[in-house]
Amino acid sequence: MLNVLWVLLIGYAAGMVLPLYPRQLNTQSLTASICAIVATCAGIALGLLGLIAPEPVTLSIASTVPLLTFAIRLDPLAALFVFTISLVGLAAAIYAVGYVRHFQGRVSVAALGALFNGFLLSMTLVVLADNGLFFLMVWELMSLASYFLVVTEHEKADVRPAGFFYLVMTHVGTAFVVLTYLILFQSAGSFSFDAFRHPEQALPEGMRTLVFLAALIGFGTKAGIVPLHVWLPYAHPAAPSHVSALMSGVMIKTAIYALIRVYFDFLGGQFPWWWGFVVLLAGTLSAILGVMYALMEHDLKRLLAFHSVENIGIILLGIGAGMIFHTYGLNEFAALGLLAGLYHTINHAMFKALLFLGAGSLLYATHTRNMEEYGGLLRRMPWTGLFFLIGAVSISALPPTNGFVSEWLVFQTLFLSFQLPALFLKLMLPIAAALLALTGVLALACFAKAFGISFLALPRSAHARHAEEVPVAMRIGMGILALLCVGLGLAPMIVVPLLDRITAPLTGVSITDKVLALDGWAVAPGDVQFSSISPPMLAAMLILGGLLGLLLAFLFGGRLMTRSYKTWGCGINLSPRMEYTATGFVQPIKRVFSTIYQPTIKLETEFLQKSRYFAKQRKFEFHIEPVFEKYLYDPVIHIFMRIADRLRILQAGSLHLYLAYIFVTLVILLLFAV
Amino acid sequence: MQISPHTGSQLVDLCSALLLLTCFAIVAQRRLSACVDLFALQSAFLVLTAAVVAFLTGNHHIYIAAALTGVIKVVIIPRVLKKVIERLNVKRELVMNVNVPAGLLICGALVMLAFFITQPIIPLGFLLTRDSLAIALAIVLIGFFTMIARQKAVTQLVGFLVMENGLFLGATAATYGMPLIVELGVFFDVLIAALIAGIYTNRLQDAFDNVDTNHLTVLKE
Repeated sequence: MLNVLWVLLIGYAAGMVLPLYPRQLNTQSLTASICAIVATCAGIALGLLGLIAPEPVTLSIASTVPLLTFAIRLDPLAALFVFTISLVGLAAAIYAVGYVRHFQGRVSVAALGALFNGFLLSMTLVVLADNGLFFLMVWELMSLASYFLVVTEHEKADVRPAGFFYLVMTHVGTAFVVLTYLILFQSAGSFSFDAFRHPEQALPEGMRTLVFLAALIGFGTKAGIVPLHVWLPYAHPAAPSHVSALMSGVMIKTAIYALIRVYFDFLGGQFPWWWGFVVLLAGTLSAILGVMYALMEHDLKRLLAFHSVENIGIILLGIGAGMIFHTYGLNEFAALGLLAGLYHTINHAMFKALLFLGAGSLLYATHTRNMEEYGGLLRRMPWTGLFFLIGAVSISALPPTNGFVSEWLVFQTLFLSFQLPALFLKLMLPIAAALLALTGVLALACFAKAFGISFLALPRSAHARHAEEVPVAMRIGMGILALLCVGLGLAPMIVVPLLDRITAPLTGVSITDKVLALDGWAVAPGDVQFSSISPPMLAAMLILGGLLGLLLAFLFGGRLMTRSYKTWGCGINLSPRMEYTATGFVQPIKRVFSTIYQPTIKLETEFLQKSRYFAKQRKFEFHIEPVFEKYLYDPVIHIFMRIADRLRILQAGSLHLYLAYIFVTLVILLLFAV
Repeated sequence: MQISPHTGSQLVDLCSALLLLTCFAIVAQRRLSACVDLFALQSAFLVLTAAVVAFLTGNHHIYIAAALTGVIKVVIIPRVLKKVIERLNVKRELVMNVNVPAGLLICGALVMLAFFITQPIIPLGFLLTRDSLAIALAIVLIGFFTMIARQKAVTQLVGFLVMENGLFLGATAATYGMPLIVELGVFFDVLIAALIAGIYTNRLQDAFDNVDTNHLTVLKE
């Protein structure tokens, strides 16, 4: 197994260096992709081996820096994330072969390829690290690599501030992560994760709470929990799409990994009940607000970025519910919550990466991210359309795809709250479930809009009219993920036992037998009588139902006739201007939730001079209020700017003054030394 | 030829004192080309000091360092600076942040400060060059002060080079010179710094029609 690990490390390392040498741009990106493909294949193997290995595999290389060892530990939890990262990485690497072509000549393709490999390597090491300092190192590397990838198209004016925003947010988060590890270090006396697990003296209760909060804020920033999510809708659209797929699909998941690691592995034992409740609350808020803001977006990649916030919320709902059950000793349910969360983590990685790659394909074909300029693309790009549809069905949690299974499990976990002894939580968890249901509905509406506006009807712009299907490499990249989206949904009997290997050590009970009923053909949350579904049967019924319908139509529907006619438009020719716009589509929802959106609508009409009954021109503008930025971030930024303005007096810009500062400091220090 | 340690020590002190004297001359000098000449003279004294130390101690690698100093600081760098001055057509420093008399007084104070600071350290030394440490520190401080007091980029560069001379003297005084490899590295750095500063001065001239570094203030946001 160590050999596989070395293949992975060397593959990525080669991928960081080799692309820089070839002269030809095509060779550069091809080299980067081949290295990444080799390394990710090794990663997939490593993940699978780690999931089934009876004992965690460790590797440790000492360093001369005190407290730092380059320690690696592959336990099932880490293995699952290595597997997910590598799988998405593989698809993205194949996709990049075609996609990177449209960057050629504008940005350094070699640097893009090298950073892509570096980014994958740092993410893999984040989940493998077994030493606090080493973890922080690779965590920082991951942030930096992704920052440089975000600003790939730095010549565009909106990319640079997006990158800067991301850099600031991620470092604020990192500060809290450092705090988390320093507190743990204090009681453990070492930075090795093993010492964190079994500290010399147990952490006092206050410190435990501090670790909980610092980790939630620190990792929550990376994960994009509301209200720390504000960087996602800027950074994800700015990055090249295959990188967005990685960032949204897996990078934010490393934060989920770290949260589980810290809460269940390091802190362990009993939590106060409110910990789980806080996580649950954060999850609910993220899920509902994420999807609501996503609905209002017309930039396809920003829409997807907001959906990442939503799905992180769903994952946290599972984990938070698990934490609550853990508090009350209901370990089977705790394991179920964790399992649901982890299941959704892999699933979201697959369908969100797929959707981002799909968005990238649309961008590649039409050169715009604005959905209002799409339309009619299904006929022009049938493969992309099919893959995007699978992703959309999956993210909307419809059977027979993977999103359905995991979201269903999260629901079931929340419903099990009637077993809790505390009345308050008994009430709160079903409310969370209700909000999750609302989230699901809104997500469905959102993707009905995203798919319908983009792919159906007539092209709304010249961009869309001239779109062509994307190169084969890009289709293969998307195809892999689309297959996985369906596969993971049909085969919970394979996935659940593997996930159980992760949750069993963390919660102390194995629940495979309980969750899988009827020899694995059905999934049930602990009790078949309470509720159960069978994803494969559902899929079969969907197909059979469809066939039955066709059969009935064939038998009783009369003769099949084909007539080629224009669509009837009351006598006028249909034009794209008659279509539903993305803005129009979501108007009802905007009205209903206007308290949350706080929309500002501006309608300017210019009339003909002769008569006020005829308008010459109408201009409609509508914005929604970015509530968190306005009320939470702007005041903080304002305070910092004011302090900075005061400090600017020091910075006069004069070379002599700066020299004088140094000189005076030097003389004073010398005098102190005497 | 044998020289008693006492005489040797006095010799080294004498040479160091000459270095310090040229420092004052640089501070007092308004003409740029004369400043560069004085720097060349100071470097020549530095070569002399280093050679004396090498002779007295028998550390041959100091000879190499001395020779390199001779080549780089007495010949090459002054020539580069002269060229820059010629091209820029700037003859003298007209406006100073600190005028000459006040500057000389401050330099005197800096020398006192240097002796005051090194006073507790020097008796602990056992090398015959130990007294030069105070002078070396004084030269570093004066070089630094020159950079603050003058406005033209060329004189600032001279100040920087004077500082470097002081450091070299300090290293010789404290430990009979740094290891040769370090020495080589430092020489290379100084040469590059001088070249870069030369280019920077030219750029400054192109951008502002002037080599007054005060103009850099406008670069601030």
